Order: sequence, then structure tokens, then C-alpha cells
Amino acid sequence: MFQDELTRQLREKKRIAIVFAALGVAILAVLFFTQSFPRPFWPWATFAAAAVFFEWNAVEVNDKLFASPSVMVMMTAAVAFGPESAVLGTAAMAALAMATPADIRERRWFQPAANLGQLVATTAVSTGVLAVLMVQIGDESGEWTVSTSMVGLIAIATGLAAAIYGIVNLGLVSFIFRRVYGASMNTWSHVPAIVLPLIGMGFLGGLLGTTYLLIGPASLPLIAIVFFTGYMAFESYAGLREAQLSTLAGFIKALEAKDLYTRGHTERVAYLSNMIGQHLGFNGTQLERLRWAALIHDVGKLAVPREVIRKKSRLTEDEYKEMQGHVHHVENLLSEVEFLRPMVEIASNHHAHFDGKGYHGSTGDKGETPSLEARILAVADSFDAMTSTRSYRVAMSQVYAFAELRRFAGTQFDPEVVEAFIEVLTASGEQYGSPVEISEDEARRRAEHGFGDLSARARMKYDELRQSARQRPAESDKPEANRG
Amino acid sequence: MAELRLRTLTFAAWTGLLVGAAAFTISGVSQTAVGFIDWFLPVLVWATAITVVSIITVPAPSGSHLSLGIGAAVGAAILVPDHAALGAAICLGLAATGLVERGLSMTTSRSDGDFLTDAIGMAAYAFSYRFVFEAFDVQLTLDPSWTIVASVAVAGTVWFVIRALVAALVGLERSDLAGRYLWLLALEDWAVVVSIFAAGALFGLTWPLMGAWAFAVAILPYAFGHLAFERYHSTRVTYGQTIRALAQIPEVAGLAPSGHSTRTADLAIAIAQEMGLHPNEVMELEYAALMHDVGRITLNEPAIVKAGYTDEDIARWGSQIIAEAPYLEHVSTLVAQQHRPYRSPGVAMDPDVPIASKIIKVASAYDDARIEMGLSPIESLERIHQGSAYEYDPHIGSSLRRVLVFRGEITF
Repeated sequence: MFQDELTRQLREKKRIAIVFAALGVAILAVLFFTQSFPRPFWPWATFAAAAVFFEWNAVEVNDKLFASPSVMVMMTAAVAFGPESAVLGTAAMAALAMATPADIRERRWFQPAANLGQLVATTAVSTGVLAVLMVQIGDESGEWTVSTSMVGLIAIATGLAAAIYGIVNLGLVSFIFRRVYGASMNTWSHVPAIVLPLIGMGFLGGLLGTTYLLIGPASLPLIAIVFFTGYMAFESYAGLREAQLSTLAGFIKALEAKDLYTRGHTERVAYLSNMIGQHLGFNGTQLERLRWAALIHDVGKLAVPREVIRKKSRLTEDEYKEMQGHVHHVENLLSEVEFLRPMVEIASNHHAHFDGKGYHGSTGDKGETPSLEARILAVADSFDAMTSTRSYRVAMSQVYAFAELRRFAGTQFDPEVVEAFIEVLTASGEQYGSPVEISEDEARRRAEHGFGDLSARARMKYDELRQSARQRPAESDKPEANRG
Repeated sequence: MAELRLRTLTFAAWTGLLVGAAAFTISGVSQTAVGFIDWFLPVLVWATAITVVSIITVPAPSGSHLSLGIGAAVGAAILVPDHAALGAAICLGLAATGLVERGLSMTTSRSDGDFLTDAIGMAAYAFSYRFVFEAFDVQLTLDPSWTIVASVAVAGTVWFVIRALVAALVGLERSDLAGRYLWLLALEDWAVVVSIFAAGALFGLTWPLMGAWAFAVAILPYAFGHLAFERYHSTRVTYGQTIRALAQIPEVAGLAPSGHSTRTADLAIAIAQEMGLHPNEVMELEYAALMHDVGRITLNEPAIVKAGYTDEDIARWGSQIIAEAPYLEHVSTLVAQQHRPYRSPGVAMDPDVPIASKIIKVASAYDDARIEMGLSPIESLERIHQGSAYEYDPHIGSSLRRVLVFRGEITF
């Protein structure tokens, strides 16, 4: 079934690549005969280099939302070229940006081909509208000269054109996405997040275009400097943000690795929570928050003595208290970190039950249903705990873990989250836990008879298998969403 | 002492600015054909602009807060044709900035030294811009816009060098690494500086042609960068908080004395600053000092405690954990070396022990003596001095002494 799906995707990709590449070439050909190429050549080359640079180096601001000032460069260039050559000039720039160095290095064909059509069409439509507006704004002589009184109108026109750019781009990308992957991208919920910054960028692009026309090429280095430094600052900000995430992740992983039984737990819980969140239609910010919360949910456990965590027999009252204390340790440790505060709140409630019982963090009231994120985290955490080998029992099977989740749905777990989880995990084809049917009693009995290590080895084998299953070919060559 | 000297200098500069403003005004008004009011009004407008913009600061990557005032001065130098009027506007604007900064007590992010640096830098910029512009105007036959851009670039470089020099001289009051400090500071903050200059020049060029739109052209693109620099700064703060939190895991688990890592880090930073390390080195030292005992988390394994362990083990375990976090490789090596003596018998100095590791060793030992053993500050310092044959670097020991004297914990 999986193989069939891949074949279908490949067929669809080929079809889209041909249609879009042909569309791009056709548009360029038509423009070549109807418009004149911008003259002199070197300002066009400068603008093109900037646009391509920004297209290649889009910064991921927030999960899948890319900030790239290339649209602004396009608008600046369009105004600078004037209505006679704006569309051809910018469409040619867009065509140059179709393939990134990575695409060329890895010899991808689908993304560049789809981008050729997608970027050229998007650019041609938006600067086409702009060219019409520029003719209206310009004086009767038909000559494209700019005066101070026109600045505001031009900026508004470019803002509008940039908004059109965003909408057309989003429409085409989600069309490709739906055809190839079958899944809907939930397109229209992205519109404000993408189009609003684009309007701002377009507005600015119009201002800079008129600056170029009024001052001449001397303004180019200044405009370039302001942009590149701003862009660089943004990139180093994004890099630092990334560093922060990976520091926390790496650190937690290293601490966890000290204990064979919890090794990889956090990572798996983060992965599973993310899966559930995606299935429930979380947006980028929500998903990121969920991932962070999953990452830190067991930090407190690192401060609990190993003897307690690893104990084979029943815990004493004190030990049980100490074990539960890990929820508070998370709060004590990480509440100092400002941006983590909402995530700490989620993490500290991951032992709270759906019906309000269980163990709440200091922010959750007893008897209250914890937040949806905390409910997701609870399911992912419990599932991974059941399907991993612990000191007192070997790993249970996935089927048994599913049954357990369903058994406690409505009391301990949120039934909707449980069903969503089972659905998405079954669909993914991934396998967790013991390969053979093992119930909880059986798992405990086996641990007592010293089968624990054996099963741990089997589990590692499973980890490997899962790793290879996760590296699906389709992941890498999705058309880049939300460019611009 | 150093602070007092800086204050005196700042006050002298401030008085000089007032005198300069008066002198420029008198000479300007005596030479101009228009009346006093017509001459003085643009001066006042530009002085106000310089003051208002100067109050806005941007957190630069090196950690210092740069004032945007120079951007306004770049615009003024292009747009005010009369030399005397430009001089008067800059002097007046700077003098008012000094007053406002003091009134708003912005000492948290800006110190006296910053004002002195900015004042000298801005004056140097205005002089060199006018000089360069006139030379270029006569010598080169460029398009006027290009002449302006080229002059801003040359005068901006002059400003950058002079400002870095003054900043290093001001910092020299507390630092012995002036040459390196200057160079690294220049490297780190150039992006912010260049974008402020470009924004000022864009305003100067567009104002005559676009009127009020010039504000949008100059400010909007710059604002994007400004926002990014601010976000970078705040992320760096939360990054520090994250590391601080993670470093406390062994303490929360009861495997390390409570508060030891924070106190050690605070003391280590003070020593490093006293010794004049570069801000980046200080930052890495801070992270390393905070996490120097993180290896103690391994001690929650009863088998390991039973088998016994050394300081070296703690250092190694800690560095292994930190090495898992990308971007912290250097911090990891600092932690790995923190247990090492600064020299071995018969060797003058082990060259491969990083200074940050040696500082951590001293700060941690001092805190142990002070808190764990309950010794007085002078007794704890004596232990460091006693151990300075091999264990504790005497340079760091004497730096520690100066820090303690400065904090008033011991008196001599």
C-alpha cells in the first residue's frame, strides 16, 4: 500500500513538473515579445542577484513560515524598471531563483520545475497588476518619470501587488501540495500570517523603487546595506534560537543517556506529541510550544535519585512523593526562563488526568481538565512508557498499549486525543514496543525472570527499523511552502 | 577612582560642548546674512533631532548598547550647508543628550564612558565628513549623490576607528587587553554601525526630493534590522537563563551544594572583567562556570559513588554532557580543564590550560572555602594564595583579591 502511494506521488510529480515548467517557459516567452528588457543591464543584474540571494536564503522565522525580502526586491525593481519592462524584468529574476544550490547539488528535478512555473506565474501576475497601476499613476506623456506627489500612490500599488503575490503563491503551492500528497494544507488559515508582512514589504519596496528613480544608482549601495545587515541580524537571531533549542535538547539527551531505561524517551515523546498535534491541526506556534513542552517534561526526573526511578519493587510513601516531585522540579528549574513559561505549564501538568484527578502542577487546579497540549503530552508519555522496557517490566506490545490507552480514555486520557493518536500512528506504519504480544502482567513476569535485557536488545533493533522507516523519500522534495 | 576620572572627563567634555555651541553660534550669526532667528531655528531643529535619536539605543552583538545619534548626525552633515550651524547643532544636541541621559538615569545600559565616546566620535565625524566632502567635490567629478555616498563611507570609517580607540581608552581604565579588545569590538559591531550610517545617508539624500517620505525610506528598512538586533539580544538573555536553569539540575537533585554554581559564575565573571577579557570570552566563561559541576548528576548512580571518583571525573563527565549540545563545544573543553593545576612542577606555566578554566578553578575553590567550610573572606583568600604554587594561578589570585576589595569584603 505504501509502495502504491509512492508510485502515485511520483506520477503526479512528473505531471506537475511538466505542466509547471511549460507554464513558466510560456509566460516568459509571451513577456519576451510584449515587453522590453530593462536597460541598462547592471541595475537589473544587481536587483536579480539580491532577489536570488534572498530566495535561496529564506530564514525560517517560525515553523514553516519563511521571511524572505525577495518580494520587496521584486517590487523595488518593478518600480525602477517602469511599466514597459517591469513584468519581464521581474519574471526573469524569478526564473533565476527556481533552483537553490542544494537542489542542484542533489539533482532534484521536481522542486525546480514546479518553482519555475509557480514563481514566474506569481511574479508575472503581481507585477502585471502593478504595471497597469503604474500606467494609471504616471503622467499622460506615457514616459515613466516619478515626482514627489506620486510616492504614496506607488507605495500603495506595490503593497497591493505584494499581497496578490502572496495569495497567488499560496494558492499554487497548496494546489501542488494537494495533488502530490493528497493532504490539504489548510491553506486559508495561513493567509494573514503571510500576506500582512508581504503588504509591508511591498509598500517598502515601492518607496525604495521611487528612491532609486529620484536619487539614481547611488542609492543602491545604501539600500543594499540596510537590507543585508538587517537580514544578517535576523539570520543570526534565528541561528541563536536554533542553538537554544538544540542546546536544551542535546543536554537533556545527554543527561537521560546516563540511564539505560529512559534513553531516548524525551525525543520519542516529542516526536509522538508533534505527530498528534499535526493530526489535530495545530499551527506552527502551537506545534513548537508542544515540542518544547515535550522536551522539558521529564527534566525534573533527572533530579530524582536513580534508586527510586529504577526500583523494582513497589515504592514507599516517601519515594512516591519524591517521584511525583519531579513535576515541581521542572517548575523550580525552568520557570526562571521567561520564554519557556507556557511550556513549563504544559509540562508540569502531564500527569494530570482528563477527569481532573491525577497529579497537577502548581498552575493546574485539582479537579480541572488540563490543557489540550498537556493531554496530548500525557498520551504520548504514557504510550512511550508502556512500549519501553522499564526496571520492573519489559516493554509491552503496541496493540496492548493501544488497548490500555482506550481503557483509560475518558478518565485518565482525553478520548479524542487517544483516537487521534491511534489513527495517526497506525497510518504512519511505525511500530513501537515489543514485537510479540505482551500484556502488562506478562511484561512484569518476564522482567522477574531476567528477560529484561533480552527485550532491551530487541527494542534497539526496533529503534533501528523505525529510523529507516522514518526516512521516507517524499519528505525531502516537497515544494517549499510559503515562499516570499 | 577610575569612575571618578571618567566622570570628571565627561563633565569636561559636556562643558566643552556648551562652549562649542556658543562659539559656533556667535561665529555663524556674525557671518550670516539672515537674522538670528532664521539662522538658529534649523540649528534647534537638528539639535532636537540628534537628542531624540541619541536616546534610542540598539543592543549590539558585543553586548554594548549603541546610540543611534550618529545616524541623525549623518543626515545633518549632508543637509545643513553652513559649517557653523552644523557645529552648533551637534554641540547642542550632544549636550542635551548628556542631560537627558542623566535625567532618565539610563546607567543600566549606558555608562559615562559611552557618552564620552559618542560625543568625541560624532564631533570627529562631522569634521571629517565636511573635509572629505569638499575635497571630493573639487577633486572628483562624480554625480552629487555618489559624492555624498563616498564621503559618508570615508568619514564613517574615520568615525569607526576614532570611536573604537576612545572606547578602548575608556575601557583601558579596567582592562589590559586594549589592542585585542579594540579589534574584536570593531569586528563584532560593524553590521549595526553600517546600517545606522546607511539609514542616515538615505535620509540625507531623500529629504530634499521626497519630503516627509524620507522618514519612511530611512526608518522602515532600518527598523527591520533594529528589531532583529533586539530579538537577538533577548534570545541571548533567555539562552543564558536556559543554561542557568540546566546547571542547577545537580543542585536540585541534592548532588551539589545549593547555589554554588551561581555564586561561582558571578565571582568568575567579576574576575574575568577585572582582568579585561573580551565580552565573548566572559560569556563563555559564564556558561562554563555555571555548568562546571553538571557532571555531578552522574553521582545519582549509587554504583559510581561506591566506586569512588575524583575532581577530574566530575570535570570529564560534565564536559561530556555539555559536548552533546551543539554550539557549546568550547564551553565543554573549558569545563574539562577546570580541575587542572595552572602549572606542573619545574614548568613555568602550562600553556594549554585556558584562562577561563583557571578562573573557574579559583572561583569555585574560593566559594567552597567560603560557604562549605564556613571560612571568612580573608581566610578563604589565604587558601587560594597558599595554593598558588601549582593549583591556583597567582595572577587570578591577585585579581580575586582586587575584586573582593572592590566589593568591600576585605579591606587593606
